[in-house]
Amino acid sequence: MSGVVRAAWRLGAAAARGQVRRPLSQAATGGAEGSPGGAEGSGGGSGSREAVERLVREHPVVVFMKGSPAQPLCGFSNAVVQILRLHGVEDYRAHDVLQDPDLRQGIKNYSNWPTIPQVYLNGEFVGGCDILLQMHQNGDLVEELKKLGIRSALLDAEKDQDKK
Amino acid sequence: RSFTSQTDGEARVTQVLREKFPRASAIKVVDISGGCGAMYEIHIESEEFREKRTVQQHQMVNQALSEEIKSMHGLRIFTSTPK
Repeated sequence: MSGVVRAAWRLGAAAARGQVRRPLSQAATGGAEGSPGGAEGSGGGSGSREAVERLVREHPVVVFMKGSPAQPLCGFSNAVVQILRLHGVEDYRAHDVLQDPDLRQGIKNYSNWPTIPQVYLNGEFVGGCDILLQMHQNGDLVEELKKLGIRSALLDAEKDQDKK
Repeated sequence: RSFTSQTDGEARVTQVLREKFPRASAIKVVDISGGCGAMYEIHIESEEFREKRTVQQHQMVNQALSEEIKSMHGLRIFTSTPK
């Protein structure tokens, strides 16, 4: 099981490294800048606190990523998608920040977190892909999903293994 | 790239972390963008992380490196507490 994630991770990380070769001027607008380029969206733009608040509460599992679950455009975003898939979580809200620069900055302001992807469970910011991977490896993710009323597919996989 | 050499970026990030986490028992900063300074992997072990949730520990590192992060494309953070 973890081998699949590692394989997806290596592919994704390689893709991310490929992206890193962009000129620095473009890279500066990449996932990790902490200070806002423009003002935090005030009065209801797609990046405003109110708008982001609405999005994170839309669904028990909300992910802000680069690309889409069907086609992630970043290795770290891909890792998040793959981990959720391993747990059988396919029904969640995913927002592609590459499609909306205001949201891209707004979500970073909201969580005070400089990078994408960002995972929200029950409206609460949980972390990025490193944290989700850690939660997956130490069993915390199964527990958090259970709290949301979501039964991880890995529980059923374990039961099958026990039967052998 | 030789394992014994350190890029300027790695040295600077390490220095900032040493200052901001005086109780850190281990700090390792690796430029994983092939020396471009665009992406770093940070390992930091400190008593200051004890009893804090992982996301809070990572937030502490984000705050400490807020200036340096502005010029990065991405970073990976691994925090831990001394055994």
